[in-house]
Amino acid sequence: MSIFVHAKKRVSRFLSAFFRKRRSRIGIYGPPNAGKTTLANRIAKDWTGETVGPVSEIPHETRRALRKQDITITGTNGSTITIDIVDTPGVTTKIDYKEFLEYGVGKDEAILRAREATEGVAEAMHWLREDIDGVIYMLDSTEDPFAQVNIMMIGIIESRKLPVIIAANKIDLPDASPQQIRNAFPQHPVIPISCTAGSNIEELYEKMVFHFG
Amino acid sequence: MVHTCVTCGRVFPDSSPEILSGCSGCGGKKFYFERPVSHKKTSSSPPPLQKEREKPEEEKPVVSPEEDRSSRVESIRIIAPGTYELNIEKMAKCDDRVVSLGREGSYAVDLLSMAGKKKKKG
Repeated sequence: MSIFVHAKKRVSRFLSAFFRKRRSRIGIYGPPNAGKTTLANRIAKDWTGETVGPVSEIPHETRRALRKQDITITGTNGSTITIDIVDTPGVTTKIDYKEFLEYGVGKDEAILRAREATEGVAEAMHWLREDIDGVIYMLDSTEDPFAQVNIMMIGIIESRKLPVIIAANKIDLPDASPQQIRNAFPQHPVIPISCTAGSNIEELYEKMVFHFG
Repeated sequence: MVHTCVTCGRVFPDSSPEILSGCSGCGGKKFYFERPVSHKKTSSSPPPLQKEREKPEEEKPVVSPEEDRSSRVESIRIIAPGTYELNIEKMAKCDDRVVSLGREGSYAVDLLSMAGKKKKKG
């Protein structure tokens, strides 16, 4: 029985290699409040007209991995990629409900939010291990890129041999320094963007077609 | 026979009360225990003993809080309700969740997640 199942699996894998349309799952990872959902929404809106999830100034607004399927991106040379975008909760090493209180969230809700955010990080790491083919690592270019969590995450992504593009977001802000991010991670392509202002997003799409295609 | 605090590196002799109550410097409750050098070797070959004695001091790891965090056994540490410390590297390696609950030495383990890998659909 098991031989039959095994043979069936091998045949289906062989056929799917020829006939199935390959779709890459691209995860948007990064620390909280870097602009991951804003980017996911922009990509989805630009290419499908829909959005992925709500955005807010409060950290950990995204506490579950959100997915938008079948996004086809076309580069200037006409080549296309079809991807699923996975917007993940911000990855961090410490979550404290007190940081939500500053944004006017009640204590009980803040504690619940912290618990959900913790589960969200675990879920994001699960996706990274199981189901992601490429990563857009999102960084706030007004913040220090050498934070321990960034070094750790880039190391984990590299160890899984996943293609990665680093998006240096918020370049519209006066104290943005995308060059600092380039210096921090010279081994990876760094694209300075502003998701809110829509600056340089086309370059990111070009890079995605080239890098994830 | 000494106990070295993992967090601040303070050294305490064997059976000191700090081992139970926590480090007098930082309050940490994790200590490295350095094994005693056996007496047989001391009598037979004194020169290697000196080397052995020097070794632990040379190799004593300087552990930063971040490194310590990543080397812990738990993937999620509940410091207080709503306050968590996450071990991202641990989470990246496997789905097994080991959760340490508030008090030191109190752990929750998700047996189902450790029961075995789910069979993937081909």
